[in-house]
Amino acid sequence: MVIDHDQVRHLSEVAVSVELETPEMTLNIGPQHPSTHGVLRLVATVDGERVFDVKPVIGYMHRGYEKLAEVRTYPQITALINRIDWVSGYANEIPFIVAAERLMEIEVPERAQYIRLILTEMARIASHLVFNASYPLELGAATPLFFALRERERVLDLIEGVTGGRFHPNFNRIGGVKPNAGGGPTQRKVSQDLPKGFFEETRAAMERVLSVCDELEDLVAGNEIILARTKGIGVLPVEVGAAYGVSGPNLRASGVPFDLRRIESYLPYDRFDFDVVTAQNGDCWDRWWVRLEEIRQAARIVIQAIDGIPSGPLQAKVPRVIKVPQGEVYVRAENPKGEMGYHLISEGGQGPYRLKIRSASYSNISILPHILEGVLVPDIIAIMGSLDFVLGDVDR
Amino acid sequence: MTLLENFWVLVALKALVIAAVVPLTALVLGYAELKISAHMQSRIGPYFAGGRWGWAQLIADGLKFFQKEDIIPDRADKAVFKMAPALVLMSTVALFVVIPFSPSLRVRDLDLGIFYVLAISSVSTIGVLMAGWSSGNKYSLMGGLRAAGQLIAYELPLVLAVVGAVIQAGTMSLNGIVEAQAAWGIPFVIPQFLGFVIFLIAVLAELTRIPFDMPIAESELVMGYVTEYSGFRFLFFFLAEYANMFAMSAIAATVFLGGYWAPGLSDAQLQYLGPIILVAKVFLLVFLFIWFRWTFPRLREDQLQSFAWKWLVPLSVLNIIATGIFKVVF
Amino acid sequence: MTTSPSDVTELDAFAATIAEAVGGEARVAHGTAKVIVSAETWTEALATARDTFGLGYFSWLSAVDWTSDVAVGDPPAEGTSERIEVLCAVGDLDGRLVIFSTDLDHDEPRLASLVPLYPGANWHEREAAEMFGIVFEGHPQLEHLYLPEGFVGHPLRKSFPLLSREVKPWPGTVDVEDMRTPDEPSTENPEA
Repeated sequence: MVIDHDQVRHLSEVAVSVELETPEMTLNIGPQHPSTHGVLRLVATVDGERVFDVKPVIGYMHRGYEKLAEVRTYPQITALINRIDWVSGYANEIPFIVAAERLMEIEVPERAQYIRLILTEMARIASHLVFNASYPLELGAATPLFFALRERERVLDLIEGVTGGRFHPNFNRIGGVKPNAGGGPTQRKVSQDLPKGFFEETRAAMERVLSVCDELEDLVAGNEIILARTKGIGVLPVEVGAAYGVSGPNLRASGVPFDLRRIESYLPYDRFDFDVVTAQNGDCWDRWWVRLEEIRQAARIVIQAIDGIPSGPLQAKVPRVIKVPQGEVYVRAENPKGEMGYHLISEGGQGPYRLKIRSASYSNISILPHILEGVLVPDIIAIMGSLDFVLGDVDR
Repeated sequence: MTLLENFWVLVALKALVIAAVVPLTALVLGYAELKISAHMQSRIGPYFAGGRWGWAQLIADGLKFFQKEDIIPDRADKAVFKMAPALVLMSTVALFVVIPFSPSLRVRDLDLGIFYVLAISSVSTIGVLMAGWSSGNKYSLMGGLRAAGQLIAYELPLVLAVVGAVIQAGTMSLNGIVEAQAAWGIPFVIPQFLGFVIFLIAVLAELTRIPFDMPIAESELVMGYVTEYSGFRFLFFFLAEYANMFAMSAIAATVFLGGYWAPGLSDAQLQYLGPIILVAKVFLLVFLFIWFRWTFPRLREDQLQSFAWKWLVPLSVLNIIATGIFKVVF
Repeated sequence: MTTSPSDVTELDAFAATIAEAVGGEARVAHGTAKVIVSAETWTEALATARDTFGLGYFSWLSAVDWTSDVAVGDPPAEGTSERIEVLCAVGDLDGRLVIFSTDLDHDEPRLASLVPLYPGANWHEREAAEMFGIVFEGHPQLEHLYLPEGFVGHPLRKSFPLLSREVKPWPGTVDVEDMRTPDEPSTENPEA
């Protein structure tokens, strides 16, 4: 009788692994957990440290903005929507305002467009700095947080100087930007523009931002443990990401130059020289690196914009009571988190008939069940953090 | 004089001294950690408590812990839950027994001193496992199990790393090891550099400090095995962590850095200067630990395991072989 | 800022090609291309879009409740037929984006699920299902996404009242309630 040794060994291994099988455990991560960025809840089925299955549960922060938008006038809605992704509040307003302007066929003055662009890129810097700060913290390194948040505060100060709000600027008006920026009712009309010294301060702040990027690169990219924790972890292939609607830096890290700043024409990005940052592997490390590099590109755009900003009015002529003509339009923009769009359906009233808000984080984290299958518990945190989401942007 | 020679008086006195020294070291090291980490992160750190430099910050924190409600979860195994922090702190206190602060200032010089240290220091892991299991919390359980897995991984290199020094000294008594270094004229860190590095890495894992703080892993397991602890039970863990850091640094300083001995000092001078020299060496190591903590991120459990088994164990065995050959040849 | 004319013609042509291939009707306005298909050909149309035209990027899916039974907000223009319109935006990674649209019965909306085609449709369909009461046939787990289990009603339907407004009316111009009592002077907001 011939004994098939391979088969015997195989059978014995099966017997051992059956004996050692442990019951699965349900691990409830969140809604109150240090690393879920708010109230995301993951119901994970684990065997020891190995994750079989993850079910995200969202909706703890659902505020029903789509319904609320139906009972508000267009100017009132900007106050709502910059609370969607509060880490980059300013950038949320742009696609909505542009959607209304397209339906009304308003041509926005150049200067207002430049100010919008500068502030959008500053919001991008602020948002990416938060990510670059908090992601190492999730891996256990606390120090980069303080370095990055220190410089973010300078950027937020600049945004506050122009708009009056650090997080919720509510600065855009249909047809331009808020005309009495930086001044109260007593200030004269001529000075009701960008605050005094804004350009010099911005230039200085961008220098600081660029230098903190170098510091972060030293601190994080030079660290073997960070590389070991992030390289090859949570790989996201382009086709899968696209089918789930993943956008922004998360998709660019997988190697496609899918950047709506280049594709859409909601702001005059075609006049500026910047690179669309992509990486090759689509792992956690690439997602971190793409965002770091995007801070540098955003700083580049801001410097070019303050050099080339034209003078002129801040507001186009708009009727006193804003009524948007009947029609529908979808405007999307490259927000720090990804594609943010508003599908605006107007029936000719003072408020929209229906406003569909397409937020980036919502689609970005819908990939979690797919990407977290079979990883280890520490990798849940590493992968989840690398997707850079904000719960307000998920739940709306 | 006669009173001091009475065995029981002496025991009581020594117990009192250790009971005072353990929280004191924890306070000092905790404060050092707060201040050093703050300055590494462009912060000031504690500033107002105590009027100057926030020196009273940790005393205030400690008092706060005593005021807190002692919460025991409903599903917890209450007896084990209560015992765990005591066991962890006890094993730390027991470590202080053998640390020689000067040629004569010590509680007890055991012949198997270093062996005793290694054995006792693993008892705290039992306490951690008890805490994790009895809390009735899945995060705690995972933290406790990670600690147990970590124990198995690092305990071997920890033991193997000191074997080289023991071979060289020819004794396991901690005083004997210091005297051997004094006789040699150079601390063992120079001939046993590999052993020293392995020992430090293993000690970091034993102390569950970053980069090996997986049993606590705040961003993953909330607070690991201490998640459910509050009030003075949490304080026990806190005290044990820092006192343990002091004790393990003192052991490392004794075995590899010459302990209380410094070149050029007579035996009589060492009697008085010994404690200062030892504490200075301890602080050097503690600074290193704090520096690591605020620079490095956390490894993954499986990465620690493969690091321990694939690198630390073979390297420490190599170290032993090399030491043995040198001992025989020279 | 509007899209430049060359883009518009290009988009026009692209939308027309897709509409022809899937047997629908193309409408391009304000730089937004919309292809209207029938509910029966919904999955085939999107499969064609994905496989033939390479629109593999799933942007979003949602619905619109077209009805004059409006509890809050403005009613639609006169002569709007009562229906639920489902919108689904898909695109490619070069930047083309087409919104597919189909009309469903207002009282019993049913539609085939897109999850087998685009896994990203999963959450979007769950959201549309709870918000509008649409049944997506073939969806793997059509349960509540945002709303708690046992929630009654479909909040984004126009007939669903906004509770906070019911409790405390808002003195805005879109309001259905009239805030002024006859003997009170007008407090209408001059800005609005």
